[in-house]
Amino acid sequence: MNIPSLAIVALMLVTPLAGCLEPLQEESETCTILAPSRTMDNTVRILTYDIAAFSQEMLDEFTTQTGYEVELIRSDDAGGILELLMQTKQAPQADLAIGLDNTYLQTALQFCLLQPNDVSINEIDETVLDVYQGTYATPFDQGDICLNVDENGLDGENRTMPESLWELTEPQWNGKTVFPSPLTSSPGRAFMVATVDYFEHDDDETSSAFDWWKAMAANGAQFTSGWTEAYEMHYSGGYGEWTEGHLGDALLTVSYCHSPGVEAYYSGNWTHSTSIVLERSSFHQIEYAGLINGATQIEGATAFIEYLLSDEVNRNMPVNNLMNSVLNNATFPAQEGYEWHTDTPLKNAEISMERIANEMEDWLNQWQTATQ
Amino acid sequence: MASSSSQVNVHPIQWGVIVVVVSAGIIPLLLGVLRLMQVTQASPIDAILHAFDTPLATEALQFTLLEAALSTLLTLLIGIPLAWSLGRYEWRGIRGMRAFLFVPFVTPPIVAAAGFLALYSSGGLLPFMGLDLRTETGVIQWFSELSGWAHPGHMLALVLAHAWFNLSLVVRFLEPTLAQMNPHWEEQLLLLPGGQSWWLRVRHLWWPVLGPSLLVAATYTFFFSFTSFALVKWLVPGANTVESLLGELGGSAGIAFYRTEASLLVLGLALIQGAFMLIILTGASKFENQHTKMLALHDEQANRKLRGNAPRIQRWYVFAIITITSLPFLSVLIASFRKRAMLEDGTQGWTWTLDGWRQVYQGDASTITLLEALGNSLTFALLTLLIALPTGYALASAFHRLERQGKRKLANSLDIMCMVPLSASAVMIGLGIVVGLLQWFPSMFQFQYLPVLPHVMLILPFTVRIFRPAFTRLDPMYEEQIELLNLPLFRAWWHGKGAFLVGPFAIATSLCLAFSLGEFGATYLMVRVGSWDSLSIMVDQLLSRPKFDPLVMPTAMAAATTLMVVTFTALLVCEFVRKSTGGTDDV
Repeated sequence: MNIPSLAIVALMLVTPLAGCLEPLQEESETCTILAPSRTMDNTVRILTYDIAAFSQEMLDEFTTQTGYEVELIRSDDAGGILELLMQTKQAPQADLAIGLDNTYLQTALQFCLLQPNDVSINEIDETVLDVYQGTYATPFDQGDICLNVDENGLDGENRTMPESLWELTEPQWNGKTVFPSPLTSSPGRAFMVATVDYFEHDDDETSSAFDWWKAMAANGAQFTSGWTEAYEMHYSGGYGEWTEGHLGDALLTVSYCHSPGVEAYYSGNWTHSTSIVLERSSFHQIEYAGLINGATQIEGATAFIEYLLSDEVNRNMPVNNLMNSVLNNATFPAQEGYEWHTDTPLKNAEISMERIANEMEDWLNQWQTATQ
Repeated sequence: MASSSSQVNVHPIQWGVIVVVVSAGIIPLLLGVLRLMQVTQASPIDAILHAFDTPLATEALQFTLLEAALSTLLTLLIGIPLAWSLGRYEWRGIRGMRAFLFVPFVTPPIVAAAGFLALYSSGGLLPFMGLDLRTETGVIQWFSELSGWAHPGHMLALVLAHAWFNLSLVVRFLEPTLAQMNPHWEEQLLLLPGGQSWWLRVRHLWWPVLGPSLLVAATYTFFFSFTSFALVKWLVPGANTVESLLGELGGSAGIAFYRTEASLLVLGLALIQGAFMLIILTGASKFENQHTKMLALHDEQANRKLRGNAPRIQRWYVFAIITITSLPFLSVLIASFRKRAMLEDGTQGWTWTLDGWRQVYQGDASTITLLEALGNSLTFALLTLLIALPTGYALASAFHRLERQGKRKLANSLDIMCMVPLSASAVMIGLGIVVGLLQWFPSMFQFQYLPVLPHVMLILPFTVRIFRPAFTRLDPMYEEQIELLNLPLFRAWWHGKGAFLVGPFAIATSLCLAFSLGEFGATYLMVRVGSWDSLSIMVDQLLSRPKFDPLVMPTAMAAATTLMVVTFTALLVCEFVRKSTGGTDDV
């Protein structure tokens, strides 16, 4: 018997197992705090993505102040952090998760992936705390996700600044838009959530967000796996035009409302990118730090969250992490047009974290069906 | 050849090695499949049918088959004349040329992608020559409009990159056969009725002699193009191979009550890909057996001397290919010294700087220093070598013994079972390790040398491929005579076998080192803690950063340049060892 035949036999043998494998049990309502998963040492292990704010100086300063060493365990993005937390739930690899945002946090809470911390949140802005007020996660930066458009691509006649999302399904935008996929990108996911709210509150009661996504796909919208690919490779209005492989075939993409400010800051107060601030088409994203359920170095991890919220670190978020601070009276810096080119949304989408967690799987399936 | 079966019995240790290797390949996969079945409550057949019913999956499969077929075709079209010229004539520095042509094969795809992007992008060599594969203007746009094909430029860009990658496979398999073929066969055939026309000579001589080598090279080229990931991601925006789609969806797979649809699609796609891979590898194994029989026909040096130097047009062709091969490397090297900057006249432009090298040398919070990454890469490579070389030798020896016992089918079947990790998606292996082994050995992820495990598993099939033909060519008479001398164990092995295997050992060593140095996918799955980063991981980390910081690109390219230089040096050293010990070039 040759190998392909063996493989077919193996497949036939494994198939009946599908009925025998016991379905996994869903989490109970209350979460229990797991015992530490490794031997205690002086190192805080942080599960995060490649956050720009974590410069070597910043980490060295933390070590100097507290005596704890830091070891970073990386994931690709916020979704990757959640998935790694889920996959390693029985044997957590880190003490602290940094980078889960408010589209992922509720899922992490439902899966009992985090445990409470006692970090003081007195200095944090009220509007940030409105989104989540529990003790399982502490906000450390924020930003509004919205559509960015290349002003050079708007001629004022045929193609003008869109006044509704439906306009983007018209021929003048055919093949000129790119979106990071909500399946694999957190900005993409946040914008999809915003569209759900947008179309629930528009005048047309017969169509939903997914009708719009279907129309966008039919109008030549491109979908990428991540924000970087969409913004850097396809978007014609950003710094991507200076990178190898730039296509510049899209006039509109999803990024932050302050991205034009960042563009200006790094290009001597000059940019041809701007934001679209239609009501409910933007999403207020907040990123959180949380102690992992089963963490070992809890004291060190708590100290790191406190350090992250300190004035010296958090007020510098706009420059060091290209996100806004969560502290009271936080602003973007005025230098090089950062603040001037940053737009403020008229009204962000309003969808609770609970609803996001409960309906996300369904939305993603609908999105996939609509766009393929 | 007439050895009794008792003399060639497979040693219990060799059986142990076979069991361990096959288990290490199959168990994580099985655990991954069972986990996905448990999460989705679907059978593999349901999952496969579901995948065929999902446009996302079927489009990826169609694209994968098309790009792999086109890549194979182009690689052969470029590679056959190259191997012909290199194999039949005298060349000064042929070992260096071979080593150089081999470097693309072990270059991390992400480095290659960066190099090709620089070539294809505005200001790069190809647009300068009027071929805009990236933004598809000019002749590409004309062809696109004429044919209705949406992005022919992107496909051509990918196929060219795949040909660059796999060219060395054609050279490695075809050139030794051409070099060692008895030249009198050609002369004799010209006198016979069966050799009177070009087509008849192909039918009666070239195809029977070169066909198996060609098929092996074509099969492996198809295989590596089929599993392409990073090049597709960077060169063909908007398209997915099955492997890249699995990579996108894989993170969500295997988690209970979370993205069940993704788990179902991953299960279906991984099984479809596995089936394709098994068929391809089985084919490769069969062709390879035929290829092995064609080797060692005539003295290579005498053949080359007989024909002398290559005709001018062939010399130009070889040098042109070598020059083209070097272009992506040169692009990477140049990019390591070039930084985006605001010029004095207020416009954006480029300046020449060593800042990228400084930055990579110093490291930062997210990336370790260049020397640390280099140290990790070399450590992984040496450990891989220490494990894979004796294991590959033991496996090949066991399969050879089985063959001598007349159990060729069993030997081939076990050989293919050792290739299972190659046939599986990295996502499935990663999932199997995470959901399976991690439950039993949580501390495993704290083990610094964990990446060595997948490196060994992925390189083993190739070391076996190198040693098996070498064992076949060994005359058992030597071994039998040495046994009569009653020498100590090691000396008996050396005089009976070892001394004849220095060449294959050198090739296997170079392959182990180069492969491990450049390996990315499996390392990425295993390395979670930044301080264990290898050079290839470091390059990816740096390239993935948003490039508003003008230092990102030169820093990444400085790391990539270091990786290229180290890999090329390792290959050259092994070639030197092989040359100094008189090794042959058969693989």
